[in-house]
Amino acid sequence: MSTSRTASVLLLAPALVLFAVLTVYPLGRGLLLSFFATDYGLDGATFVGFANYTDLLDDRFFQRAIWNTVVFTLLATASEVALGLVLALLVLRRFPGRWLVIPGIVAPFVLSTMVVTAIWSAWFHFDFGFLNNLLRAVGVAPVAWLFDPDIALLSLVLVDLWQTAPLTFLILLAGMQSIPKEVYEAARVDGAPPVRIFFTITLPLLMPHILLAALLRSIESFKIFDKVYALTGGGPGHATETLSMYVYRLGFRFFDVGLASAAAMMMIVIAGLLAAIYAISIMRRDSDVG
Amino acid sequence: MKTLACLMLAGSVLAGAVAAKAETLVIAGRDGSFGDALSLAVERYKAANPGLEVERLELTGGGLLEKVTIAMREKSGAYDVIMLDDPWAVEFMSNGWLADLDTLGGGIAEDFVEPTRNVSRYPVGSGPHYAVPFVGNVELFAYRKDLFDKHGLAKPASWTDVLAAARTINQAEADVSGVVFRGKKANPIVTGFLPILWAHGARIVGEDGTAQFDSPASVEALKLFLDLKAYAPQGVETYNSTEVRDALMQGTTAMTIELWPSWAPSLDDPAKSKVPGKIEIMAAPGQVQGPAPMLGSWLLAVPADSKNAERARDFIDFVTSEDMQKTLALEIGLPPTRASVYADADVVAKYRWYPAQFEALQNAQPRPRTPQWSRIETILGDYLQLAMIGEMSPEEAVSEAHERIARALKR
Amino acid sequence: MTGSAPRTLVGFGVAGLMLLPVLWMISTSVKPPVDYVSTSISLLPSRITLEHYQALIEDDLVGKLLNSVVVAFGSTFLALAAGFPAAYALVRLRLPAGFDNVFLMFVLVIKLAPPLVLAIPLYQVLRTLGLLDSLAGLILVYQVYSLPFAIWMLIGFVRDVPMSYEEAARIDGASLIQRLVTVVLPIMMPGLVATGVFLMILSWNEFAYALLFVQTPSKFTLPTYIATLITEDETFWGRLTAIGFLASLPILALVGVVQKGLTRGFAGGLK
Repeated sequence: MSTSRTASVLLLAPALVLFAVLTVYPLGRGLLLSFFATDYGLDGATFVGFANYTDLLDDRFFQRAIWNTVVFTLLATASEVALGLVLALLVLRRFPGRWLVIPGIVAPFVLSTMVVTAIWSAWFHFDFGFLNNLLRAVGVAPVAWLFDPDIALLSLVLVDLWQTAPLTFLILLAGMQSIPKEVYEAARVDGAPPVRIFFTITLPLLMPHILLAALLRSIESFKIFDKVYALTGGGPGHATETLSMYVYRLGFRFFDVGLASAAAMMMIVIAGLLAAIYAISIMRRDSDVG
Repeated sequence: MKTLACLMLAGSVLAGAVAAKAETLVIAGRDGSFGDALSLAVERYKAANPGLEVERLELTGGGLLEKVTIAMREKSGAYDVIMLDDPWAVEFMSNGWLADLDTLGGGIAEDFVEPTRNVSRYPVGSGPHYAVPFVGNVELFAYRKDLFDKHGLAKPASWTDVLAAARTINQAEADVSGVVFRGKKANPIVTGFLPILWAHGARIVGEDGTAQFDSPASVEALKLFLDLKAYAPQGVETYNSTEVRDALMQGTTAMTIELWPSWAPSLDDPAKSKVPGKIEIMAAPGQVQGPAPMLGSWLLAVPADSKNAERARDFIDFVTSEDMQKTLALEIGLPPTRASVYADADVVAKYRWYPAQFEALQNAQPRPRTPQWSRIETILGDYLQLAMIGEMSPEEAVSEAHERIARALKR
Repeated sequence: MTGSAPRTLVGFGVAGLMLLPVLWMISTSVKPPVDYVSTSISLLPSRITLEHYQALIEDDLVGKLLNSVVVAFGSTFLALAAGFPAAYALVRLRLPAGFDNVFLMFVLVIKLAPPLVLAIPLYQVLRTLGLLDSLAGLILVYQVYSLPFAIWMLIGFVRDVPMSYEEAARIDGASLIQRLVTVVLPIMMPGLVATGVFLMILSWNEFAYALLFVQTPSKFTLPTYIATLITEDETFWGRLTAIGFLASLPILALVGVVQKGLTRGFAGGLK
C-alpha cells in the first residue's frame, strides 16, 4: 500500500502547504514575538521573557476585555440558541405559507456583517433612529443604545442575535426533523401534554444539535471584531472593548507587536479552555449514553 | 465547474482592465469639512490637469491614522498624498516615512504661519520640511456674550472664573447648560482637557522625553475638569465635535472649552445658528500660567514610498497656494495657514473673528513633540474617562496614567 | 391539520419581524435625505429617489463590486482545490497512525483562533511574498478561514460517496487521479457546490483582513468600502442602505439556488 501513502501525501500537500504558511508559521512566530519587546519584527527586538504576559495580566483594560468578551459570548450564544429553538418549534409543523416563512427567517443570516452594522447603526441613532422613534411613538423614553455603558454591550448582543439566530434555527430545525415521528406518537397515546413532551422527549433528543449550535456560535462570538469596530469602536469607555479589538489596538494602532502577540496567545489559550469545557461536556454525555 | 472557471477568468480580466488606467494620484485624508475642502481642490486641480485620475480615501481621524500608519510602515506605496494631524508628525517624520519636501520641489513659503511651519519640520523647527500646513486650526474658547452680560459676568480670565460662570448660568437658565466639551474617549476628551492642563502649569512629557504627568498641578487640573462636568449636559462623556457644535449653534450652552475655527464657519449665519452674533471667541483662559492657545494644524505630506511623488508635490502646492486657501476659506470655511490670507479683505469681511484667530495661531503651542503621542493620547483618554465616570479618583487616575505613559515612552 | 390558520398568522408575524430591518434598508435606500432626520416610524419614503444609487456608481461602486467578486471566486476556488483532495485523503486513504485525528484537531484549533491573532505575523508573510495591498494577497489570507471550513464540510460529503463505484473503477484499472476526477468529483458535485456557496458568502462578507491588508481605495472590497461610509460626524444612510441592498442581492440569489444544501452543510461536521 505504499502507493496509497505517496498518493495521500500528494493529495494533502496543497492544504498542508497553505496551513504551514498561513497558520503554523504565523502561530509560531506570534509565540516567539510574544517574548520580545518590539514594534516590528525580530530585528532589533529585546528579549523580555514573560514581561509582556505579566504586563497584560496587570492591565485593567485587558481584564476588562476578557470580561466583555466572555459576557458577550455567553449572552449571545444563550440568546441565539433560545431564539433558534423557539423559531424552529414554530415552523416545525406544516402550515400554509411555511415555504415563505422559512426564507424570511433565514434572510438576516446571509447579509454581510458590514451591511448588518450599517442597518443597526442607523436603528440605534439616538435622535432619529428607528428604535427610538418606535419607543417615542409608544410613549417610552428613548434609549442611548450605543452610548450608555450599561447598555452598549447588550445592543451588540441584539445585533448578533438578529443576524445569527437564523443559523441556530436551521441547525435545530434539522435536528427536530430527524427525530422519528413514532416517538411522539407513543407519547401522545399516553396522553402527555405538549409541554411535557417537549421537555421529556424533544429536548433530550435534540441535545447534540443544541450543543453543536452552541459550539459554533460561541466560537464565532468569542472572535467578535467587525461589529465592535464599526458600531462602538470599543466604547463608551471600555464598555464594549473585546479581546479582538484589544489585540487590534495594540498591534495596529500602537504597533506594540510584542505585547499584541502575547495578548493574541492568551486569547488562544482562553479559546482553548472554552473548547475544552465543551469537549468535556460532550464526552460526559457520550459516556452517560453509552 | 466550467461556468465557475469562466467567471473567474472574466473577473480577472476585468480587474486587469481596471488596473491599467491613466496616471493616478491616491489621496488619503479626512472626512467632514476637511474632506469637502479637499474635494473642491481636487475638482479644480483635475480641471487644470485633464487626464489625471484621482482616488480619494476619506476617513475619521482615528481611521485615517490607522490606515496611513500601516501603509507607510509596510512601504506599500498605496498613497501619494496624505493628510496628517500635527501631533502625528513627529512619529511619521522620525521614522522616515515622509518625503523631504526641500529636495522634492524646494521647500515651502515663509508665508505659512510660523508655528504651523515649525511642526512641518524635523527636527522640529529647524530640520528640513516634510509637510505643508493645510488647515490652520488653533484651539479657541467660546462663550455667550449676551448671557454673560445678563448675569453680570465678566469675560473669564481664569478657569476658576469659567467654573463660577458655568455654575451661575447653569442654575439660572433652564435650557442652557453652563459648559460643554468633547467627552468621548481617545482624542476628543484629551483635546478637551489639555487647555485646562496647560493653564495649570502641568506637563505630560518633559524636555528630556520622560513622563512628567504625575504632579499636584495635573491633579488640580483634573479636579477642575470634573467639577465642570457637573454643569455640562447629561451624556457629555459621549460628545464629539458634532454635539459640541450643535450645542453652541442651538444656543443650549453658555461656553465651550474648545472651539476649532473649522467647526464654526457659520457662527453668524442666522440660517444655521439660533444665536447669531452672540458668541464671543477668545484664546482659552489661563490659571497659574497665561493663556497659550493650542495648535491643531492639519498638514499635507507625500509618503516616502509614493509612486507618484512629483505629481503629489505639485498637487500639494496647488491646494496650499494663496488663491486656493482663499477660495477654501470663503467657500468651505477652512481656516487658512497663510498669513497673507488672514490679511485678505474679503476673508476678514466674512469672518469677524479672523484677526483674533490669526493672533492665536501665531502664538500657538503644539502638543508634546514625541513619536509616542498617539499612544499617550489613548492612555490619557482612557484614564480621563475612568475619572469622569467615577470609577477612579483624580489622584489615582493621574498616577496610573503617568505609570502607563512612562512605560510607553520607554518602549 | 387543525388550527393551521393561527400558525400561519404567527409564522408570518415572526418572519415579518425578522425581516423588518431588511425592509427598512430597502425603503431607506430610496428615501430622500430629509426623511432621515425625522422621528416618524413610517417605512414608506415621502418620495422615491435613486440619488443614493447614483452617488454610489459615481463613487466607483462597480470597481469595488468587481474586487469582491474576484476575491470571492478566487478564494473559493483555491479552498475547494486544496480542500477536496485533502478531505478525500483524510477519509479514504490510509494515513500514518492518528494523523487524520491530529489534522482535524488542528483544523479545529484554527477555527478557534480569532483572525486578528494571526494578522501580525501574516503581515510578514504577505510582505515576503510581495502580496501586500493586493487582491491576490487577500485571496491567499482568506484561506485561513476558508480552507478549514472547506475540509470540515467536504469530509461529510466524501463519506457519502459509495465505495462500490470507486471499487468498480479501480478494477477497471483507473488510477487514483482518474477515479477522483471521473467518479468521485461528479458524485460530489452537489456537495462541492454547497460548500462553494458557503465559502463564497464567507469571503464576500469578510472584513478584518480586508481592512488590514488593503490600503489603496480602488482595491477595497465591499465590506471595507461600507465601513468608510459609517463616519463620525455624519452617516450616509441613503448610500449605506443602497449598497447594503446591492451587496446582499448576489448572496440571496446564491442561497436561493442551494437552499436544500444549507442544513445539510452544517450537519456535515456533526458526526
